[in-house]
Amino acid sequence: MFGWHGKVLRVDLTSETISIEEIDPQVAKDFIGGRGWAIKVLYDEVDPGVDPLSPENKLFFASGPLTGTPAPTGNRYMVTTKAPLTGAIACSNSGGTYPTEMKRTGFDMFIFEGRAERPVYVWINADGSGDGPDVEIRPAPHLWGKPVPETTETLLQETDGKARVACIGPAGERLVKLASIMNDKHRAAGRSGVGAVMGSKNLKAVVVRGREGVNLAEPDQMRELCREVRRQVAADVKKGSTLREYGTAYVPNVTNEIGILPTHNFQTGVFEGVEGITGEVLTEKYLVRPKPCFGCPIACGRSTDLKGSRYEGDGEGPEYETIASLGSACGLDDMAAVTKANYLCNELGLDTISTGVTIACAMELYEKGILPEADVGMPLRFGDADAVIQLVEKTAYRDGFGDVLAEGSYRMADRYGHPELSITAKKQEFPGYDPRGSKGMGLLYATSNVGASHMAGDLAYMEVFGVPKKIDPLTIERKPWYIKHFEDLFTIIDAAGLCVFLSIRYLCDATDEVMPTRLTQLLNLATGAGYTVESLLEAGDRVYTLERLFLNRAGFTRADDTLPRRMLEEPMPEGPAAGHVVELDEMLPEFYRLRGWDEDGIPTDDRLAELGLDRREGLG
Amino acid sequence: MHIVREAAPVRVELKLFATYRRYLPPHTAGNACHVTVPAGTPVVDLLAELGVPSQRGVSVVLINGHDASPDRVVEDGDVVAVFPALAGG
Repeated sequence: MFGWHGKVLRVDLTSETISIEEIDPQVAKDFIGGRGWAIKVLYDEVDPGVDPLSPENKLFFASGPLTGTPAPTGNRYMVTTKAPLTGAIACSNSGGTYPTEMKRTGFDMFIFEGRAERPVYVWINADGSGDGPDVEIRPAPHLWGKPVPETTETLLQETDGKARVACIGPAGERLVKLASIMNDKHRAAGRSGVGAVMGSKNLKAVVVRGREGVNLAEPDQMRELCREVRRQVAADVKKGSTLREYGTAYVPNVTNEIGILPTHNFQTGVFEGVEGITGEVLTEKYLVRPKPCFGCPIACGRSTDLKGSRYEGDGEGPEYETIASLGSACGLDDMAAVTKANYLCNELGLDTISTGVTIACAMELYEKGILPEADVGMPLRFGDADAVIQLVEKTAYRDGFGDVLAEGSYRMADRYGHPELSITAKKQEFPGYDPRGSKGMGLLYATSNVGASHMAGDLAYMEVFGVPKKIDPLTIERKPWYIKHFEDLFTIIDAAGLCVFLSIRYLCDATDEVMPTRLTQLLNLATGAGYTVESLLEAGDRVYTLERLFLNRAGFTRADDTLPRRMLEEPMPEGPAAGHVVELDEMLPEFYRLRGWDEDGIPTDDRLAELGLDRREGLG
Repeated sequence: MHIVREAAPVRVELKLFATYRRYLPPHTAGNACHVTVPAGTPVVDLLAELGVPSQRGVSVVLINGHDASPDRVVEDGDVVAVFPALAGG
């Protein structure tokens, strides 16, 4: 095969058996790769009603056909599983160098199932010294309890200094529902509690080393197209690259200007302390250098050091989502404090978005007199940086009140009788765009298969950032079409193994329709699969719809496609979006119609037939 | 006989984010300055004066936090914010 290796590694941790499976070429094409292949196997093999933290759940690491190829930003992988935070699926995306090395093992996807009796790590070595890949399940009691940097260093010494490590920290071991899987020390497959699934399997780490290249269908043409894209990016960078100079930390100024920067647990979208948490501050005070993922011409990552601040440490980040959640949502106006909290999340293996927004929710509960100080063990007012930093650590270890935070904001707010103060969709915390001033994002958060997530179909590209074209964030006009389209597009980009930053701007048409013309070319040159733009979009729709079927069978209905009361009934109090709420009821029926779902949000038989799907496949 | 009354000039706050800070007058602290222009000036002219790119697809131009068309005339007290159109968080 081209683009794909066509091979899947399955590791049964209960029986300690390892098997190699080949993927059917038609399935490979129909489901693209990455996230698409993962949901296909998850749907076929896992009962949607399963407890996410039981041995019956399965955990997928999946690269795409463009991962490890010359495609610019072809350096991503996805972690898919049934998620403990939401009960829906998780599709957590990460970059760095690990995904490329993973693809070089000669496998497109790893499946981990069962539960090891004691802590283990898996070492997949395809360095070319043997006949083929060497896969070992090794004991890891000596790593259990160790934070991410120490775990990574130890594993590199034990395996191969050139290997790459994905692992969990103490949070994943303790089944914290906000736990991430970290790779290359600082990159996170962050969302939905994927780290807890790994912890529940007693799987501390997956270490990879490989030298297996990817066969390309049209290598010369592929390289030429990649060169053309890189030339275009380089020309833009030469004119002044905001992402390289400031990272995504440039965004708080923008979202604050249009009044959608999450502030004080989304009570408002305007933050008076924004000046303290901008990219300018990060670059001038703490940036060591931009840190690109493998082969990336953009380099939005930040290598930083807190020297000269009241905190100590060095690491990577923060990026915008972290600044919005651990910063403005918690009322923090000190970039050093946000960066320190970010370092701790990375070291202990926590999702910065859900951790920040859960602490922000606790702050609102506390300030409203709902959450007693005795329960928290300290005062908890908005803006208290030391409290945020302490609570990050307590959450990871489930220490004291951290045990409550570890369940996420919905379960915490529900415990105190006010679930409406949890800013979540499907129990997953909102990312950094208040949807009252970015209406398409409201429809996205409500309908996304993973709960609230910008990565599920980030229409902020158009509503906020003007990529590839600017559209009005305050209207609902055409938003159902855009959200359906962006969900399908982002599904394709995830499944292909690309980063969305480059893909929307350089691989899609700069028209109102945002068609993935160049992305289709790139996939065809890599795989030889002969996609048309239409058939590729249909494949995205197929993957998205199969994910939805999994949710339906796990019990999700239209009632779950909703938003917190604050977004639907409490108008934004100030700023450019003042007076606005999300008119979800006006957008949802049209969205369902465009998707071919009935009024309860269930895909119709006709639509399934068009997509070649069968709801009776699989278990459950 | 016509009396032509010249309207008073208007003063607007100009905020330039990220790499566009370089278009601010030298020694400007932070990312904002005040600019005084003749009444009736469209925002596109105001930005051209300072060399700030304003073409759609290249920049996002906001007035008081809302999308602004290039020929929108600035008014006294407006806040004009401009940043490069590019991928975000």
